Amino acid sequence: MSSPWTRLVDRRGVADAIPLFIPAIPFGFVVGLAVTEGEMPMFIGWLTSPIIFAGAAQLAVVTLAGTASLWSVIVAGVVINTRHVMYSAALAPSFRHQPRWMRWVGPYVLIDQTFALTFLRADRPPSEFRRYYLSVGFFLWFCWQITVALGMLVGPIVPDSWRLAFAPAVMFLGMVLIAIEKVPQTTAAFVGGSVSLAAAGLPDRLGILVGAVAGVAAGTLADYRFGDRPVRRVGVAA
Amino acid sequence: MSVWSALALTLVVGAITYGMRAIAIVGLAGREIPQPIQRALRNVGPAVLAALALNLAAGGEGSVGLTWPEGLALVAAGITAWFSRNVIATLVAGMSVLWIAEALL
Repeated sequence: MSSPWTRLVDRRGVADAIPLFIPAIPFGFVVGLAVTEGEMPMFIGWLTSPIIFAGAAQLAVVTLAGTASLWSVIVAGVVINTRHVMYSAALAPSFRHQPRWMRWVGPYVLIDQTFALTFLRADRPPSEFRRYYLSVGFFLWFCWQITVALGMLVGPIVPDSWRLAFAPAVMFLGMVLIAIEKVPQTTAAFVGGSVSLAAAGLPDRLGILVGAVAGVAAGTLADYRFGDRPVRRVGVAA
Repeated sequence: MSVWSALALTLVVGAITYGMRAIAIVGLAGREIPQPIQRALRNVGPAVLAALALNLAAGGEGSVGLTWPEGLALVAAGITAWFSRNVIATLVAGMSVLWIAEALL
């Protein structure tokens, strides 16, 4: 017999989200620490978590608030997450068959990890996709609120030598290499990563956007030139 | 900084961030997306994730640098991901190589 909890929550989604959230823990602590050291009132600083729900943008806002013009803070906070437009565009086909409420609620929890996990399952039946998406998204949302609050309490004692801030890069690289199977996607990843690395000196993480645009363009060209030629024989993404 | 200006700032950034996440899902979800655009969209995920990975690894905040241990960690993670197709194994391999290389180099 299934309980309301098991009907609502996709346990696979929660299980998939846990390893992706672990690397975000030090980042959440850093955001929490920045709140305690910033010019914003502490409670409003924490409110950036449920209202903005985007680590890099939150970090920019709580760090710059009170030390830069409001417009500068807004632009910095927004530009960092321009990639979310591309996440939205990439997932739009999966939302075509979702109810209206889902189209409005879903984007609220569309962060890097949510995109990475749900993009790999975009071809699932609508109800299955919705259950998985919401389970992943709101599990990550809940954990993030707790982590930032804990960071405000214990962030200062996490030693830098653990280098946990490097873990997200390792995770994202692993996720893309696990996902790619065809020449266009491989080209997109290679060019996107290379250009992003070359443009890493740009402020406000603009290099991510520049690399992503270059990667999509290169992948599209490769699609026209080579089609869906596979780069390896393995067929099912982990 | 006053409570009200801080709250207004948070609400504005939050609203724009939500708008960026919703723009295509809410605006396009009810319509048929042309086939060429759908094909191009399949490249968005790999391009953004790769860009994110290497930009985060390199710093990406004006000061750029990828140390030898970081480079080795990424190579180890990449090889592990390619062959194992397992996210946890990738994380363990990458971070282990980072710690070992930083201790040795």
